[in-house]
Formats: sequence, structure tokens, C-alpha cells
Amino acid sequence: MKLSLKWLADYVALPGSVDELARSLTMAGLEIEGISRPGDALRGIVVAQILSSDKHPDADKLSVTKIDDGSGTPLQVVCGAKNYKVGDKVPLATVGTVMPGGMKIGKAQMRGVDSSGMLCSAKELGLPEGEHGLLILDPALKLGTPIADALGMDDVIFEVNVTPNRSDALSHLGIAREVATLTGVALKKPDAKLAESATDASTKVQIRIEDPERCWRYVARVIEGVTVKPSPSWMQDRLKSCGMRGINNLVDVTNYVMLESGQPLHAFDLDRIGGAQIVVRTAKAGEKLKTLDDKERTLHADDLLICDEKSPLVIAGVMGGASSEVTEKTTRVLLECATFQPTTVRRSAKRHALHTESSHRFERGTDVSAVTEVIDRAAALIVEVGGGTVLKGRVDAYPVKKQPRQVKLRTERVAEVLGVAVPAAECSKILTSLGFKSVGDAWEVPMARVDVSIEEDLIEEIARIRGFDAIPAALPRGLSALEPERPWVTAERRIRGAMSGAAFDEVVNYSFVAPAELSAFQAEQGAIAVANPLSVEQSVMRTTLFASLVPNVARSARHQSQGVRFYELARSYRPHEGGGVNGKPVASEVLELAGALWGMRDGARSWTGASSVVDFYDARGAVDAVLASLHITGARYEPLESPWYHPRAAATVKVGDRVLGTLGELHPRAQKRLDAPAGVFLFQLDAAALLAEAKLVPQAEPLSRFPSVLRDLAVVVPTEVAAEEVRLVILEVGQPLVDEVTVFDVYAGKQVGEGKKNLAFALRYRAPDKTLTDAEVADAHQKIVASVTERLGGALRA
Amino acid sequence: MLERLQSITETANRELESAVGLEAVEALRVKYLGKKGELAGIMSGMGKLAPDERRALGEKANVVKAELETKISAAILRVQEAALEAELKGARIDVTLPGRGRTGGHRHPVSQTLEDICAVFARLGFVVEQGPEIELDWYNFEALNVPADHPARDMQDTFYVDGNTLQASHANPVVLRTHTSPVQIRTMLNQKPPVRAVMPGRVYRKDSDQTHTPMFHQVEGLLVDTKVTFAELKGTLDAFAKAFFGAKSKTRFRPSFFPFTEPSAEVDVSCVFCSGKGCRVCKQTGWLEVLGSGMVHPNVFKHAGYDPSQVTGFAFGMGVERLAMLRYGIDDLRTMFENDYRFVAQF
Repeated sequence: MKLSLKWLADYVALPGSVDELARSLTMAGLEIEGISRPGDALRGIVVAQILSSDKHPDADKLSVTKIDDGSGTPLQVVCGAKNYKVGDKVPLATVGTVMPGGMKIGKAQMRGVDSSGMLCSAKELGLPEGEHGLLILDPALKLGTPIADALGMDDVIFEVNVTPNRSDALSHLGIAREVATLTGVALKKPDAKLAESATDASTKVQIRIEDPERCWRYVARVIEGVTVKPSPSWMQDRLKSCGMRGINNLVDVTNYVMLESGQPLHAFDLDRIGGAQIVVRTAKAGEKLKTLDDKERTLHADDLLICDEKSPLVIAGVMGGASSEVTEKTTRVLLECATFQPTTVRRSAKRHALHTESSHRFERGTDVSAVTEVIDRAAALIVEVGGGTVLKGRVDAYPVKKQPRQVKLRTERVAEVLGVAVPAAECSKILTSLGFKSVGDAWEVPMARVDVSIEEDLIEEIARIRGFDAIPAALPRGLSALEPERPWVTAERRIRGAMSGAAFDEVVNYSFVAPAELSAFQAEQGAIAVANPLSVEQSVMRTTLFASLVPNVARSARHQSQGVRFYELARSYRPHEGGGVNGKPVASEVLELAGALWGMRDGARSWTGASSVVDFYDARGAVDAVLASLHITGARYEPLESPWYHPRAAATVKVGDRVLGTLGELHPRAQKRLDAPAGVFLFQLDAAALLAEAKLVPQAEPLSRFPSVLRDLAVVVPTEVAAEEVRLVILEVGQPLVDEVTVFDVYAGKQVGEGKKNLAFALRYRAPDKTLTDAEVADAHQKIVASVTERLGGALRA
Repeated sequence: MLERLQSITETANRELESAVGLEAVEALRVKYLGKKGELAGIMSGMGKLAPDERRALGEKANVVKAELETKISAAILRVQEAALEAELKGARIDVTLPGRGRTGGHRHPVSQTLEDICAVFARLGFVVEQGPEIELDWYNFEALNVPADHPARDMQDTFYVDGNTLQASHANPVVLRTHTSPVQIRTMLNQKPPVRAVMPGRVYRKDSDQTHTPMFHQVEGLLVDTKVTFAELKGTLDAFAKAFFGAKSKTRFRPSFFPFTEPSAEVDVSCVFCSGKGCRVCKQTGWLEVLGSGMVHPNVFKHAGYDPSQVTGFAFGMGVERLAMLRYGIDDLRTMFENDYRFVAQF
């Protein structure tokens, strides 16, 4: 909300320093987000007097004037306007001034005549255009006065961030009360002295509230003989400095009083209200209303309306209708000042996408007790700026009188919550100055303070007025035991560590993706959709992280990367049975580790000659690194058919029957659809499965003190025999002497024959309790060779 | 014979002195001391001599042999040293060529910051809790004292989930959580007080511009026990600020409004760029707004099954991206989620 300090000063004496006022309001919960000084744009422009004016010797349209700017030395200024006479006071932009439009005023020659400065029009000052030509100023102004001061533009405007609970602070008076409390000075409320005519207003208009649940109170006044015209400039200036536009004197008064008091008002042309009857009711099916913004709106049965006998006039609290709007012809005014149920106004405003100054205040809550005072103030102002007579009395429909809340406050509770004792007398002083009334052991809450309903609310009032700085800082007491770190937290850290070690860069993508990014993986079935996405690119919750990672790789490739390794540790989302029932999460949210690699193994070409590109085994190496970081042993890699991966290179990773995840080369169809480069390799692991198999604290095994014997074994087997099959046979047959088998060479080619490959293994023989003899090793090795050749159709490599 | 012995000694000394390389020294050793060497030749001819002469020659030969052995050892040391000297003076490699293999990967600044925030609170005894991101409106709003049709809902623009894409229909709307606060509710529903936990995670708001992304990360914290005070909230967050931003950091607590806390406070930290003097980043205020906090609202306790007359507590929340930007000097929020390989590689 924009707050004019000049306006504010009508109600409370302000402290000397603007910054100090901003700081104290901010520290009391009314954050000042910005301070602007509209007059700053006019710096360098002063009040000056025209001493003489002669025709320019060389230009018919120009005059050469002598100007007194109060400095004592007359200046010569060339001027093009004609609307002045000698002796007038006008604005002079002195040499060096930067005009609101950005132009800099320098010493100049105009058609051969020196000119020191510029005489200004209203437009050049950025003011609403008045008469053509120079702006003629009040003759009483002192020469040399800065123009901003002379025009009353020396105001300071605060941008106040009023939190949704503080509807009482959506007005100059409301903030004045806050300032009065903070600085300990008195609040001066505006006068609302009203001269009423003898005619009773109730003879001119009747009010019927059909829905007292939603319309709590409706007060009206009638003013007759009004002249509609522009409001005086002081009123327009104030509205403008608060971001509103002058419309006419009647509408301006309603806006002015709203900005003053926080209570929205509405002015009707009484002659355009059918049957002199105001009816407050909900909408009927199919009813329509043309609102002031010139839009024909179809009303909803939940909309609360202000109507006459026949038709709707206003969407209550939101916006008026065109049919009863005040116009230049209006002479009889019905002034409305009402209180509506906040949620009703909010729903209507949302439904019609009409967020107005009025709805903003009503939906936050207004002061039902203040409406009489406010309507009197507005009526008095209407007479002041538009003439006419106020008819006698208010027509006040108030079906159920609202009682102020009473809230108990215990001094010891204040200390319990804040951690510092506040003397009862200090609590009372603060609450009293905020308008609370002491009633026994409780406090009666001012009806403007719709946010205060429990003891904690009172405690907050006390705390914020004293200042949070006055509360000491202390570390929490009573830490009795430290719980161990959650295993998943440990596991996540290990996984990220393993990924860093394997030279993978971490990415963080949005959880929602484009449907096309899922369908590329045939993963769109069952995806959870966002009902109101910002764009189709962010409209479905991803069912696989690949939907983000592959585009990440594609983007890098387009940006001339030579190789990337990305991973993300995040959730995928799917619906599941029983979701949302008895506390069960609505969706199945599965934490996954997913990785994507592509391009040069070293990230770029390298002088070491290792300029090869990544392949399946780089992906597998990354998976192995993750498993190792969690001490997961016994993982098996089995071939896999999946729309995600190329059939030639795809695997499932399992431990026992538990699937940990999958890996492989990106399927060429998905690659094409996502515009990714060839040779992208992927892996994804389920974090819960990893955690289930993890040994976060591995257990040590004793080391053999006896030397081991290394033997190589090379066998030729049919191509389709997996290296792992051979390795498992070696391990099985070699029990208990073989304790390590690693494959160190794979060769297929002419030398081993069609349909065959050579596998070479390094075997380590070791016994826990003795040194093995050559004979023992030879014997074991022989048995292994026999089994491998017999069971897998292999032959010893010659 | 003695003369010959003498001349062998002289020749050997000369040759050893001028020998270059280990092999040459070894050859000299064989030539003089080997089985068929010069000395052996003399010894083999001794049988023909008279006993006196033989004894004298033998003694002399032994002396010569010992002398030669010493000389040879010295020569070996000399040539080894010479060889080492030569090697040390050899050509140098190009030490400016890059090292072999890739350096380690890089952490995303958001995940690193999130982890570091949680680590600070772990030191204060907070455990880490997590919960669903796709959440019932009740957990995200109602239980947190934000009823439907309340203006506080405007503080967080909400993404709703299309109910047709869920397996069951829900009376309560389903949202993408707008904060991690529903985890506070779930945590309290699942355990008795005391609670001392932080809740990190992804959150979603329907907002996208220079300073907002539709998804971001939060870390919230909750401490509930008997007689927890606002003073302890201040102490905890001040300790966090000093641990995270540096020991000289200061905090400032300003009254504010959150529906789920009462009293509520915004927490400012002294500007990390200008140490509070005022600069462009802090808009000349010297302060950066980094946290929201407050005492848990009694209505929240009621919804979570706690008795507000028995316990009090405080809660706080912070945006991880904001802290990451301040920490790493990142000035465009949106780069965080573009995942440009050049961006991530900087951290």
C-alpha cells in the first residue's frame, strides 16, 4: 500500500526523520519496502518571476525574457509561450537541471540569443496537463522556492507491505494509530461535522438485507443537490500519490475516505435505483451485470449482490455496475458504507478475476463498528467538494449486532512464550494505546483488529510494539539425547560422494516435464498431471528422471560440450492405490539416482591418447561405484528388454531377487525424439532398494597372513557365454582356495575362430591358515579348467 | 714376480681411475681379481718358488688384492654417482601438460547448500524428516491454519493436481506442496513431543519471473517441547546465521505474519557482501531477508494432535536457492535449473 507522509501527518505528529519512521514501522511489522520522493524529479526547478518580455529579434514565435530567480541577478531566458504577462511567477528550470523527461538544461543560444534556463509548462514538469503554455504559479510564492515545495509535491511516499492479517493498517488512519502507539503521541481523528436537512433519509430509500450471514451491516446516506465535477486538486493529488486516479468529486470522496479509514464506500445515482429500494441478496440463475469496467458479467449463485427492486447494481464489496453509476447529471446521491463477510467477497473477486482496492480490504476484514463514523465523514466531504444537502439520519440495516471479542491475557504466559518477563503494567500500556480495553482479566479487542482472537495474538502485539530486539537470544534448552543420523541421509551423502568421485556433475531439474519428454520413453502412461501448469513444458510430473537428464545432455551437446556426465538424485511420481487415505501419501514418490553420460571419456580430447568415447561399461562403472560406496555386494547384471534402452546394451541390476535399477544405451527412438546425440548411456537406481541392501557400516574380515599365488586362466568359449558365467564356475569349483577372480582380457577374432571368444582371468589362490604348495595350486587349477571346458563348452587357450 | 705384482697394481690403479661406467669397472674387476685374472695368474705360478719367496710373494699378493678390492669398491661408487649425476642433469618432462584422467564431479549449488544447512542444524540436535511433495490441501493449508477462502492463500500461488490422473478421487484438493510445512504436520501426527527436526525438500509455486521459479527448495525446522520460547527461536536462528554465513553475521527479527505461527518474525541477516554497510545487493539497507519464523500457532498444534496448553514450539523456513545465490554470488536464479554444464562445473 502507498502511504503519503503528508497525509499521514494530518492524523499524527511524525518523528523528524523519514528513515527513522520507516525503520520503526518496519520493526513493528509494517515493512516499508520502498521510499519515494516524487519531488526529486523536479530538483533544480524553482519559482521565478518574469521581469520583462521582448520580441526575439530573429524569430516571430520566441520572446526574450528577463527573469528573477531570487538570486538577485536577473537571467535572460528565451521562451516560446504566449500565455503569460510580465510579473507572473512561473517555474524556471535552472542551468544543470535534468528534466523529468530526461532532457538536460544547459546554457544555450536560441537563434543567436543567449538563454540561461527554461521556463516550464505543466507538461514539462510531468503534471497533468492544464492550460497550454507556461504554468502560472501562485503570486504569493517566494522566489527561488523549489518547485516541488511550491506545488506541494515535497511529499514522501512509503510503499508499505501490509501482511494479510493487518487489514486495520490498509489506511492512513490505521497506520497513524500505529505511529501514535510507537512514538507515544496522540492520534487526531478527522472531524465529521455534518449539517443535515430536515428531511429524513429513510423516506427516500429503504434497505432490505436478505442474507444477514453475508451482509453484516448496510448503512446509507442520501445527499441531494450535488454538483458532479472534478474534485479539488488537493484531493486529486493525494489520490494520485497513493496510486489512484481522480474520476469525479463523488467517486474521489469514496476513494479518499477509503484510503483514509480503510473502509470502502460506494456512491450511487439515487435516481437510477429502481423503487428507492436497496436489496442485498445472492444472485439468481442467469443474472447479468455490466460492471464499471464495461464488462458484462454472468453472476454466480454464490455472488452477493446489492440490487434495487428489479436488478443487480453491484457485486457486493467488489465492483459497482454501470447502470447506477454517478454521472455528470447526477444530483441525488446514495452513499453506501457496508460490512460483508470477508470470504464471500473473496470468492466473488476470485470468480470474476476482479481484484479491487475494495475487495482487497473487504476480504481481509473491515471494522463493522466504524461504518457510521466513516459514512458521516464521507457525506461531509461530498458537501464540501460537491455542494448539496445531507438528508437527516442514516439508514442503518444491522440485523445481528456484532460484539467485540474478549481475550484473556496472563502475564506469566507472556513470559512463557517470549522467554522474557514483561511487567503487567507495560502490557496494559501497549494494549491500551492500540485501542484495546481492559475488561476484568481480559481485553476487549478493537473491532478493526480482525486478526486478534487468542492470547498469542495479544502476546504478539506486546512483543512487536516493544520490539523483537528487546527479547534476548538463547540456545534451546533440554537436548537430552542425540538421535543417530537417519540412514537415508547417510546413504544420500555416500551416493553423491560416489558420483562426485566418478566425475559426475550434479543437476537439479524441475519435477514437471513436457508430455513429449515422457512419451519418448513410453513413460507417459499414468503420469500425474498438473491441473493449472504455467506451460505445457511443465505440465506432467516425471515418471522417470531420464525425461530431464537426456534433454540436459542434448542441450550440452548443442552447446559444444565434448562430453558430459550428469546425475540427479530426485523423485519420480506415480499414482498408487490407497493414496491419500489414512495419511498415506497421495502419490508414490520414489527417490531415484539417475545418470546420463555421453561423449569423450575424459570430457574432452586429451594429449594422453585416452580420447575414447564412453560406452556401456562407463555407465556400469558408475553403478559399481555407487554400490561400492554403500558396500552392496553380490550384484548381478542381467540383460534387459526396455523401451528406454538399445536392446544390444541394456541390463537390470539385482541383488538376490531385489531389482536395484537398470542401465544401458539410450534407445535410438528416444534419442531421435529428444534430439539427443548418439552414444548416450544411462542408469537409474532406486534409492530405497539401495538402502535395503546397503551396509552403511561394513564389518571387517581377518586377513590371511600367508602369501597368495596368482595364476592366469585363458579359455575360449562360445560368444554367447557371459564372462560372469565363467567367473562364477571358477569361483564355485575353486572353493575354498580361490578367493578372487577378475577378467582381464576379452578377445574375439580370427585366432579363436568364428562364434567364439577368448576370456582371460586372473585367479588369486590363498588359504587362511597355511602357505599353499605348487602342487595344491596346480591341482585346483586343473579342476577349474576341466569344469569350465566341460560345463561351458570351452577349451583351454593354446 | 714382485715387480710384476707392482706393475699390475700400477696399471690397475690407472685403469680404475679412468674407467667410465659400471660395466667397465666390472670388466676390470674380472681382469684383475677374476678366477682367470692377473692376480690369479701370479698365484698359480707361486708353486715353483722357494718357500721363503713364496711366503713373501703371497703376503704381498694378499695386500695387493685387498688394495684392489677397496679401489674397485670406490670406483663403483664413483661411477654410480657419476651416472646419477648424469641422469639428474638429463632432459626434463613438460610439467605444464594436464594431468591424467578426469577430476571429480561437481555438486549442484542448491543440493550442496541444502546439505550444509541441514548439517548446521544437525549440530544443534535436529534430525532430518521428509514427506510427500504431492499433498492433500489439508496438510498443505488447512492443518497449517490457512482455511479455504483466506487471503493468506494469496501468499502462495498454488499448483493443483489433475484429479483424473490419480487413482482415487479426493474430497480434498490435491496440490503440489507450496512449502515443506506439511512435513511438520506429518511429523507431529507420527510422534509424541518433543520434536526437533528439519524438513528439506522441493516446493512448488505458480510463479515464474526473474526472481521466482515454479519449483524451488526449502529447509524448514520445527522444535516442540514444554516451554519453548521465542528467545530460543532467536538464539537458534542467530546461531545458524553465524555458522552458515560467518561468525560476524548479525540477525534482526521483524514482526511479520504467517498463518501457522504467532508471533511471527521475518529474519534478516547482515548483508554478506557489505557486512551491513549498505550495497546494491541489500538495497542499501545492510540487511538481507533470509528466513521466516515464529512460535507455532495453537491451531496448528490442535490439527496435529498436540495440546497447546502443554507444549510450545517454534518453526522456521528458508529458501535454499536464495542462500545458495548469496553464498556463491549467483545473480540469476534461473541458471540454477538450466543445468548448463558450464554452470555446474563451477561448484
